[in-house]
Amino acid sequence: MKNNYISQSRRILFFSFCLILVPIFTEALSIDGILLNHHTANANIQQSPIHGVIKDVAGLPVPGAHIKIKGSSQGVASDFDGSYIILAQPNDTLIVSALGFITQTIVVNNVSQINIQLIEDVTQLDVVTLNAGYYSVEEKERTGNIVSIKAKTIEKQPVNNPLAAMQGHLSGVNIVQSSGVPGSGFDIEIRGKNFINGVSDPLFIVDGIPFSSQSLGSFDVSGQINNGNISPLNAINPSDIESIEVLKDADATAIYGSRGANGVVLITTKKGKVGKTQFKANMSSTLGQVSNFLDLMNTQQYLEIRKEGINNDGFGSFLENPAFDFIWPDVKSWDNTRYTDWQKELIGGTAYRNNAQLSVSGGSEGTQFLISGGYQKETTVFPGDANYKKATVHSNLNHQSNDKRFKMNLSTIYTNEKNVLPRTDFTSMAYRLEPNAPELYDDTGNLNWENNTWDNPLAALEEIYEVKINTLIANAGMSYMVFPNLEFKTNLGYNTYGLESYRTLPSSARNPQFGFTPQNYSSITTNNSKRVSWIIEPQLNWTKQWENSKLQVLLGSTFQRERSQQFVQKGMGFPNNSLILNLTAAETLDVLEDSDSEYSYQAFFGRVNFNWKDKYILNLTGRRDGSSRFGPGKQFGNFGAVGLAWLFSNERMFSKNSILSFGKLRASYGSTGSDNIGDYKFLDTYHVTGFDYNGATILEPTGIFNPLFGWEENIKLEAALELGFLQDRILINTSWYRNRSSNQLIGIPLAATTGFPELTGNFDATVENTGFEVDFRSVNIQNKHFKWTTTFNISVPKNKLVKFPGLETSTFANRFIIGKPLTITKLYHALGVDTEAGVYQFEDYNEDDVISSPQDRQWIEDLAPEFYGGLGNVLSYKNFTLDFFFQFKKQNAFNELRFVATPGYRGNASVRLLDRWQQPGDSNPIEMASGGLALREDTGGLQRRSQAAISDASFIRLRSVSLNYKLPTIRKGFDVNVYLQGQNLLTFTNYDGPDPEQPSNSQLPQLRQLTLGLQLGF
Amino acid sequence: MKSINYYYYIKTSRQLTRGSLLKLLTILLMGLASCTDFVEVDPPKNILISETVFNDPATVESALANIYFKIREQGMVSGRNGLTTLMGIYSDDLDYFGFDASFLELYQHNVAGSNNTIQGWWNTAYNIIYATNDIISGVDNSSTLTIEEGEQFKGQALFVRAYVHSLLVSLFGDIPYITTTDYLVNGTASRQSIDVVYKHIISDLNNALMLLENTDDTGERVLPNQLVAKALLARVYLYKENWEMAEDLSSQLIDTYNLEADVNDVFLKESRETLWQLKPGESPRNTQEANELIIQFIPGQKYALTNTLIAAFESGDLRLDHWTGSISNTDGTVTLAFAHKYKYTLTETESLEYSVIFRLAEQYLIRAEARTQLGNISGAQLDLNAIRNRAGLANTTAKTKTDLLNAILKERRVELFAEQGHRWFDLKRTGTAGSVLSAVKPNWQATNVLLPIPETELEANPKLLPQNPGY
Repeated sequence: MKNNYISQSRRILFFSFCLILVPIFTEALSIDGILLNHHTANANIQQSPIHGVIKDVAGLPVPGAHIKIKGSSQGVASDFDGSYIILAQPNDTLIVSALGFITQTIVVNNVSQINIQLIEDVTQLDVVTLNAGYYSVEEKERTGNIVSIKAKTIEKQPVNNPLAAMQGHLSGVNIVQSSGVPGSGFDIEIRGKNFINGVSDPLFIVDGIPFSSQSLGSFDVSGQINNGNISPLNAINPSDIESIEVLKDADATAIYGSRGANGVVLITTKKGKVGKTQFKANMSSTLGQVSNFLDLMNTQQYLEIRKEGINNDGFGSFLENPAFDFIWPDVKSWDNTRYTDWQKELIGGTAYRNNAQLSVSGGSEGTQFLISGGYQKETTVFPGDANYKKATVHSNLNHQSNDKRFKMNLSTIYTNEKNVLPRTDFTSMAYRLEPNAPELYDDTGNLNWENNTWDNPLAALEEIYEVKINTLIANAGMSYMVFPNLEFKTNLGYNTYGLESYRTLPSSARNPQFGFTPQNYSSITTNNSKRVSWIIEPQLNWTKQWENSKLQVLLGSTFQRERSQQFVQKGMGFPNNSLILNLTAAETLDVLEDSDSEYSYQAFFGRVNFNWKDKYILNLTGRRDGSSRFGPGKQFGNFGAVGLAWLFSNERMFSKNSILSFGKLRASYGSTGSDNIGDYKFLDTYHVTGFDYNGATILEPTGIFNPLFGWEENIKLEAALELGFLQDRILINTSWYRNRSSNQLIGIPLAATTGFPELTGNFDATVENTGFEVDFRSVNIQNKHFKWTTTFNISVPKNKLVKFPGLETSTFANRFIIGKPLTITKLYHALGVDTEAGVYQFEDYNEDDVISSPQDRQWIEDLAPEFYGGLGNVLSYKNFTLDFFFQFKKQNAFNELRFVATPGYRGNASVRLLDRWQQPGDSNPIEMASGGLALREDTGGLQRRSQAAISDASFIRLRSVSLNYKLPTIRKGFDVNVYLQGQNLLTFTNYDGPDPEQPSNSQLPQLRQLTLGLQLGF
Repeated sequence: MKSINYYYYIKTSRQLTRGSLLKLLTILLMGLASCTDFVEVDPPKNILISETVFNDPATVESALANIYFKIREQGMVSGRNGLTTLMGIYSDDLDYFGFDASFLELYQHNVAGSNNTIQGWWNTAYNIIYATNDIISGVDNSSTLTIEEGEQFKGQALFVRAYVHSLLVSLFGDIPYITTTDYLVNGTASRQSIDVVYKHIISDLNNALMLLENTDDTGERVLPNQLVAKALLARVYLYKENWEMAEDLSSQLIDTYNLEADVNDVFLKESRETLWQLKPGESPRNTQEANELIIQFIPGQKYALTNTLIAAFESGDLRLDHWTGSISNTDGTVTLAFAHKYKYTLTETESLEYSVIFRLAEQYLIRAEARTQLGNISGAQLDLNAIRNRAGLANTTAKTKTDLLNAILKERRVELFAEQGHRWFDLKRTGTAGSVLSAVKPNWQATNVLLPIPETELEANPKLLPQNPGY
């Protein structure tokens, strides 16, 4: 009691002092002063303890609910069993709130025990707070376009990478997984492709720290297994994530200035909650298999078409002559009755994943903590014992001082990944190997080379690729309420990303006939790369509230420095293959790359938000950015945006009882930029390549330099209508946007006569992305035992090249057309097979009797999705919860004709190629077979680059299903959940290739996965 | 009340610190935000600002090393995907057994404008030319290099510029002759006629002759010097049919160097008749040529000597025994001949052979041809016999101009086979490509004497239009 009295007296005096010292804050202070005086006057009245239990409708305790006395800052949180105790005066009013429940107010009225039943908030609109990066905003009051996905949804998907969990769930966000090999990367595009050249990656921010999504993989090492693309985001364990927010429009992204053009993805990790120390354990096992196999020829079909092709080429007579057997071993030397399903053999395995997680969390009102650890091991569908292991530790510590003025948050993520894979992806081998190709192993168990007539695919298993990645993301945030309405805050962040990888090429993986020995052949290539970055962001937050309005002002600045290093070495010649991992045993050691680069970034940013009567909201954001990627005089750029919202449902004409419960009209306009071009491009330089000639180290001119390039600009405009019906049980957000990117900062392709393929510079071209997005949420049924909610989103993007002066004479003349999307591809126009000659025919646009590029590649196809989205349902009945989520996309993509269009070549192909022309008069869709020996025009090659190689690749995919059963409570505070989850279970599509989502014939398609798991909490 | 006063005092002093802290922070925020030093970073350790490259002779040597490295490893001159193998299969020297689509196009004479290999030759050539131009202007602008140093560097760069252009003009006909690093000029350069290109080549070579020394500082002839520039100039005059100059220049070389007596020594790195050779890297330690051309197993062969080439050797020719090899498959049904001038593949651990680019034997044959054209029959016979005798053959029986020219052409074929595309260039310049190749290349057309300008280049720079005829 005494302390309380003293501290309040202190406060009065302190505020009186401020009154004199800082006139600017007078008004706010006097208001507070009055309030405080009022409290001081009441301070002597007796307070008594009030206790009770907080439960939900189903009678389950609600831990962590916040109980506060109205008009004071006093408050407590309920315990794990829902019980609470608070000191209050008889006439006080308690405000009870908890995430996901409707806030209740209860008058104490001289009662000492108050049990409270909280009603679940159907819509959650009131309580949803969105992370907007430097500030947070209530869903209802936001002026910008922010979409988010929460832990609840993420946890139900058995995935490895946060991006995988987002697929399909967020409007305007198009994510494609590049391969089904564990640890591989993702392509993400937010609201289309803004820039003619350059990456479309958004800015990723993890707990306030920019996190580079650029892989440090070296193509020398991992080019053939995952394109050198290893997603750094793998380091973030999806189950440690509380929410992911995607910022899309100018209002939300302009505060990120030069890095906001492609959107911003904010990842927030979980924090500890007030209450009893809680342990959670989660164990799961996943089985994964390739979801779709291609329909390839069997031995009989294959050999028939091979022979037919050789005959058609006019070499039929040579088939009988054994002297030429070496030209076609598949037809003559190999067993013509043998059949192997190479897809089953090479990519038909089952990938297992075992996952274990343990977390401890809890805390008092002042300090909360969370520590979680996870371990995971995943194997592949390939033969051999390749596997991916990941261990993560995540911790979060929150503290606030007793007077709540000082707050601190410390969060760290540490991840260790180890991925051992064969050097090459077996997928293209599985599709291409002849069906009668020989045994993999000979009788003695060694690799079979069948008299040197083939390359044994399993040799790749001897060639190991291993990568170890260590990631540390540490962030400390500190804030101090200097005055009640002025907060000083600093974010300090540090992150390191270290990658160590190697690839071995031992002589034992090669045909012994070639005479390769460890001394003359064996080699290892290693890549040691590291990226270290730190950031400091001091900020000032000032809030002022009047009766009808509220003003928030944020000022801040950023200092960031990032250093990347890459060191690639190749050791060759070893005494024997068992020493191949030891570089000191190598006879020669070449340094292929030894580079470092530094990136410095500095900014000054601000936000002013004005809210009038909760009806009209104005949000101004701006940023002044400086980046070391630009030359002197070009380093700084200014960006800003204005956002407006009108909550018309708060106008008097809408009564509380109308069907429309929420209505908001909002719009935003502003500019962002991009400096995504790599470091040091403005300097005229020579670089060291690591080779030498006659003892002199080689210095190579880096490229044509341009000291004058500057920021590229992206002007975003958006208008949106947000509606809620029936107490917000139904919510529909509809937005329209138009983003125009100009001053395009690109590598302008140059004619080779300049000496280099491109030059970095600003180009006066404009790309426009317009689109329409709808997000829909509804609570269909809600009662004591049964709840059914639905979410739906759809995006209809449209990309257009608006302006491009001098396109016809430029190097882009044959890639783009003004008024068409950037994603077009120009193709030959296939006219089918000539019924007399039996070869493909094409439209000769320029009528010169020759089919040639570029003149005759005039057929245009757009490969960007026409629309895409997702539909999710959550059904819960008593202890059961069923989630299922469909993803859909309408698009065109290259089909199998892109890879092989002429039957009869060596190597297997789709059975579709069997439907071929055989004699004059035939009207089959596929041209006559050819063994590739005839000296005629490669019509198959033209067909592969024609519109015939494009087909509809639209799909509806049951991306995830999750069934969760919560065991009836055995003991209070002891929760057991059993769940079954499926990923990528079903796909409805007309597409013939392996995977309509990722139409490639050389990358492992996404797997179909089934997970069984158990979760314990106590 | 006393306690209140006490706290009042504490509060005041705290507030003072808070106030000044706030001021300090504001100053810090604003102050730091406006400083541009933060966004200026030092260049990294693997990058050198171009200007500084030309302040030190050692770094200029490094810039030149880049040129020789690229010549050895990429593009037209390299042993791997260069003229030696690919113009060998384009002419009647070599048969191709591999599966590379762009190589097959060359072998089968159905080359498309999109051919990757030709695009690669073109790109590498102009990349090297850019490097030479940057060295020429860098040396000119450098204030720290001595005159002697500058002359050697510039002379080498001029020589390489002329050399690369000379190969381009032979393959593609009219081409842009690039003499600057300005991308605005180079990116819109027009094609110049063959005559103009040769004028530039001859002028560059004459300048190089004046700048370069006639000594070999390396001891291994791995850098071009004045004599190498003369060798190229002699070849250029031969192609230009300026017989007097060709004779004059080749004479200067023949007077300076000697042929190796033993055919087995011609391609060793110590060979006395080598004018310029490219030193291999640490790994490979021998030549790409050996690696590509020697057939170790059947199947597995890539290139084999054609039957017509083998038939062109006279009996008793030592070159047939020592410069070619043959191999059969396990059951003896297939036997193929291969070029065996270079004997040591990449897997050897000792460096015994370098890639020879210019050698004296060619100069003898140049002079023989020039002398024949000038009517000096006996002189021509002497030169031709020098080559024949070394190969264990008797003196030539050709006496008339026509016979001698034919004999020289045939001698060139067996002396210079599988070397830098000599056979193709000889067929082309003597106008015999059609009559010879139409017999072995069913797709032969008269327009095949020129390769197509890469398709993407015509798109990138429409001033290069029109495409060469036939493509």
